[in-house]
This record gives sequence, C-alpha cells and structure tokens, in this order.
Amino acid sequence: MNALLSIENLSVEFDTHGGVVHAVRDVSLAAYPGETVAVVGESGCGKTVTFQSVMGLIPMPPGRITAGEVTWRGDRMHLGRSAGRDLRGTEIGMIFQDPMSSLNPTMRIGDQIAEPLQVHRGKSRRQALSQAVSLLDQARIHAPERCAKQYPFELSGGMLQRAMIAMAIACEPAMLIADEPTTALDVTIQSDILDLLADLQQRKGMTIVLVTHDLGVVARVADRVAVMYAGQIVESGTVDDVFYRPAHPYTVGLKAALPARSIDPGRDLEPIAGTPPDLFAPPAGCGYFMRCPRAMRVCEGHPPDLVSLEAGHVSRCWLHHDYAADVSLDQA
Amino acid sequence: MKRLLQGVVTIWFIATSTFVAMHNVPGNPLLDEKAVSPEIRRNLEARYGLDRPVFPDQYLTYMRNILRGDFGISFTQRNRRVNDILREHFPVSAILGILAIVFAGFGGILFGSLTAVYRNRLPDVVIMVLVVVGISVPGFVFAALAQLGIVGLNEVLGWTVLPVAGWGTLRHLIIPSLVLGLGTMAFLTRLMRSSMLDVLGADYIRTARSKGLPPTRIFFRHQLANASLPVLTVLGPAIAAITTGGFVVELIFAIPGLGRYFVEAVQQLDYTVIMGTTVFYGTFLVVMVLVVDLAYALVDPRVRLE
Ligand SMILES: Nc1ncnc2c1ncn2[C@@H]1O[C@H](COP(=O)(O)OP(=O)(O)OP(=O)(O)O)[C@@H](O)[C@H]1O
Ligand code: SF4
Ligand SMILES: [Mg+2]
Repeated sequence: MNALLSIENLSVEFDTHGGVVHAVRDVSLAAYPGETVAVVGESGCGKTVTFQSVMGLIPMPPGRITAGEVTWRGDRMHLGRSAGRDLRGTEIGMIFQDPMSSLNPTMRIGDQIAEPLQVHRGKSRRQALSQAVSLLDQARIHAPERCAKQYPFELSGGMLQRAMIAMAIACEPAMLIADEPTTALDVTIQSDILDLLADLQQRKGMTIVLVTHDLGVVARVADRVAVMYAGQIVESGTVDDVFYRPAHPYTVGLKAALPARSIDPGRDLEPIAGTPPDLFAPPAGCGYFMRCPRAMRVCEGHPPDLVSLEAGHVSRCWLHHDYAADVSLDQA
Repeated sequence: MKRLLQGVVTIWFIATSTFVAMHNVPGNPLLDEKAVSPEIRRNLEARYGLDRPVFPDQYLTYMRNILRGDFGISFTQRNRRVNDILREHFPVSAILGILAIVFAGFGGILFGSLTAVYRNRLPDVVIMVLVVVGISVPGFVFAALAQLGIVGLNEVLGWTVLPVAGWGTLRHLIIPSLVLGLGTMAFLTRLMRSSMLDVLGADYIRTARSKGLPPTRIFFRHQLANASLPVLTVLGPAIAAITTGGFVVELIFAIPGLGRYFVEAVQQLDYTVIMGTTVFYGTFLVVMVLVVDLAYALVDPRVRLE
C-alpha cells in the first residue's frame, strides 16, 4: 500500500540567540491510510516541530527546513512558509496539546467549527453552523446546540478538545494529526478523548498521527510506533515490535519506567536518569550516550545508523551492529 | 448599575469641587475696576443669590440648577446663557475630537499592526521612532510645526491648499484633528504593537492556520479582532486626553470650540462659564467611559457587565 504521508530525511533548525537549535535531525516517517501511527518521546525531542514544519506551522524565521522531502499521496510537497497550505483543513486536520489556548477566545465555538466549512466547502454561514452542531454531536458533546453558541472560556478542557476535534474533522480530512491531545487534560478525560479518536477513525477511515510522550497510550491505540530522541527517530516498528520487543535502550528505558496501571494510573514519571543532550550542539556519536546504561566506547564518537531488525522494525543503536559483540568485549 | 452609581458620585464630586474652588479663588466679578452702579450690583447679587450665605443656600441653588441642566448666565458675555455657549460651541469641539479619536484609533491599530507584522524590520523601526517622538513632544509643538508646514506648502504651491487656522470647511478640520490625535495615536500604536505581537504567537492563530484559512481572513477575524481589544480598554482615557488636548489646539488654530471658551473664561474669571464647562466636561467624560466599558463588554464575551 502507498503511504499517505511520507517524510524523508527531514531536518529542521531554529536560529536563536544561543545559536542554532537542531530540533529535527534526519527524520523519516510514513503514515499509511487508515492506520494510527504514534510518535513517542520526551519533551523537547522534536515531535511537534516535525509535524508542524511539514504543515508550514513553525515560524520561519527563526525556523528553517534544511533537508528532506515530504510527499502526500505520492506527490512531493513544497516545504517552506506555506508548506501544506492546500492540505490544511481539507486533507489534514490538526489538534493540539492545549485546547484552552488553541481556540479563539472571542469567537463562538460554532463559528470556529463552521469556518473551514465556509472557506473550503463554500457553505453559507447558516449551513455551516448547523453542520457544526452535528459535528459537535459526533464529538460526543451532550448539548451541541448550546455548545455551538458558547465561547471557549465557558467550557472545560475536555469539552474544548472535543470541539477542537469537531473542527479538525469538519471537512472530513484523510489524516488527523493529534499533537499530545490529552496531555493537558484530566486522566479520566484522557481515555474518553482517546476512545473518541479511535471511534472516529473507525467510522471515517482516517489516518491518525498521535504524538505523545506516554508509551502506555501508544500501546493502547497505535498500529505503528516511532520513538524519537533528541531530534532523531531511534526506533520504529509495529506496536508489537516496539512495545513488546523493544530493541533500543531508550525504548527499553521508557517501557521500564511505565507505571503499573493498577498501582498509580495517573503518575507522570521522569523515569530515565539524566537529561537529553543539548540540541545546540548535538553529540557527535549516539544522542543517548550520556544516559544509556549499555553505552560502549564506539557510541561516544560515532553516530549509529538505523539498523533493520525484522521487516519494518528498525533501531538506531550500535548494539545491533554486526561487530557489537566485539565492541562491547573491547570495552570490557 | 454599580458603575452608573459610581458615575453619578464622580459627577457630584466634580460639581462640588468646582463650586468650592470657584468660591475660594481671589477676585470677584462684580468688584471690578469697571464701575458697576450699586443698583445693578444689588440686582445682580439678588439674581445670582450672592447676597445669601454660600452654604447651604448658594450650594443648593447651584446643585438644583445643575440638576435642571441650567448653568446660569455668563458674567462677561452680555446676555449669553452658559447653556447657549455649550450648545453652540460643544459641537465644534466634538467634531474635532471625534475626528481626532477616529484618526488616533485607526492610525494606532494600523501602525501597531504594521510594526508587529514587520517586527524588527525597517517599517517597525521607523514607526517606533516616530512613536517615541509623538509621545514625548507636546501637542502645541506639533500644532505650531503644522502651521509652519501649511504656510510653507501654500507658498510653494501658490494657492491655499489648506487654511492655516479658522473654522468652517472640511479643509479647516484636517490638520487640527491630525495634530490633536497624534499623541494618542502614538500611544495606541505602542499598545497595539505589543498586543498584536502577543496574538501573532498565540496558539489559536496556529489553529486558524491549521484550518487552512486564507491569511486575510486570519488577519481580520482572528488577529485584528483580538489584538484590538486592549486598545478599546484605554479608549476612555484616550478620549479624556483628546478632550483636554483640544483646549490648546482650539486656541492655536483659532477654532471656536468649547475648549477655547473655557480657557478664555478662566482668564476672565467668568465663574458660571468655568463651572458650567467643567461640570459639563466632567459629565461628558464619565458618560464616555461608561459607554466605552459597555462597548467593551459587547465585543469581548469574557467580560460581562451586570
Ligand atoms: N520557535 C522556536 N524557536 C526556537 N527553538 C524552538 C522553536 N520551536 C521549537 N524549538 C526547539 O525545538 C526542539 C523541539 O521542540 P518540540 O516542540 O518539537 O518538542 P516536542 O517533542 O514536541 O516536546 P513536547 O513534548 O514538550 O511538546 C526544542 O528543543 C525546542 O526548544
Ligand atoms: S548506540 Fe550506544 S549509547 Fe546509543 S543507545 Fe545504543 S548502546 Fe546506547
Ligand atoms: Mg510538542
């Protein structure tokens, strides 16, 4: 099957006062029709920048796409300030981390949902508004008519995220990019939102890209997973591969740090000791070197390549290299 | 309702303090070097109640008259009631002031948006330098400079493009209202710039872009609408600034507005005109602030007045 969205060797930098931030380094990723791809990683690893740069949503300057090619349904996309402009709202819908600040505070919810319908589908305001109500209903908001007339400050975070979802799917996009859609919400509401997304995907056959830093969420909803660390993808594969047979030491660390659901479901752990490397000057070798319990001498100075382990399961670590045994002996 | 009460108290305070101040300034309009015959004097004193004690009699009369909307008769202009002066000359000031505030508001929003959009680039730098000039240089300097400029322009072109001073036609209005609005415009530009910068980086603007809306729609419906709100909140004080600024501008451009009469009345110790205009302006400003608050509540759904 052909990929709906395919990102190849994408690199994104930001010019800042402190220097150049290498936020995304050589990221390749594909999403196929109808599947859920999860992108996992700690805060600041470049998940958001990856997708927002593809959609032309990062500020340029200071942002800059330095390398890479992105295709949508096989057609090469223009990357730049207006990247993805023809796709936004129609082919690709997006929802964001903080629903409270992601909606226009002085515009009624209904009007905000109606906007893409008016602009892309040429609907009149009245038609668009009545469709907005039915979209809110699909997003499982109990009193959709009332909600449509309300302003964002009158609704809770969970309701706002549902409204955001209603807005994102208004024009029946082929893909929904959900950037940490539940991070800012109560734990109890988190699973409602995830259920809603899964349900909408079933009914509409949407592709969902789910950005998250919760590996537990990934196991629940994803078909395929990409693990990001310090601007790179360090491991990717099916959810079975990555979650149940993790190959990269970072993924192993993430999984080990998952709280047992029964003990403390809402716990947010900062599990792996240490912090990610400075993206101003990415390390010469493996990005995970400073924190990796299995680091070897080679890891410090030489960046590992992605190694294919099984069909579709890759990991960026020297341990998978043919010489790994020798190298680790060497170090011992 | 609470605001309405506050407004009434404010107006009462203005009226009372004007009354107290007027009775404590040295001088007496009837004890002038111009001889007033004792007969006329007695008549006048009786007419104005000056033969009775200041408090409570005179004060109560004063208050009663204000409530009736009667500010009495001018001391210096023969047979002119203060109400007539207000009625005749306030519209002139109002036209000038409205033009100035419109100019300041639109200019502030336009230039503020420009500077934010072209942040740290040439248009921003140039406009912000002008803003500092506009805020720090007093209005009468601009007025004088503008007059010089008009004189120069008319001379160069050989015909009167714009009149230097006076009143009557639309052309008389342009320069004075520009000058009058300038300081406020500079102030609003600065305010608009910072609020526009906030909005440009806001999450909901990213959302609007993610919906694939055209840039013009995003600009007007999402950016401008939200960034202009802070400008609206300071419109009350801005109106006050323009009202007081009008006094000077009317004098310099020889415009027969209320401000000019007020300044003249102060110079001539024309008590009734001073008190009348002060109370009138006070009331006017209180009402304007109320109106601005109400307008704000209409525009920003997060604010609801009870
Ligand atoms: N506008 C910007 N200017 C400078 N640096 C930026 C900008 N946006 C992002 N970055 C940098 O890019 C890096 C990646 O950020 P990104 O937002 O993609 O992380 P993330 O994985 O989405 O994290 P989170 O889980 O916190 O959302 C960070 O180090 C951040 O500092
Ligand atoms: S390459 Fe080395 S440092 Fe990096 S994850 Fe693998 S073992 Fe650890
Ligand atoms: Mg993010």
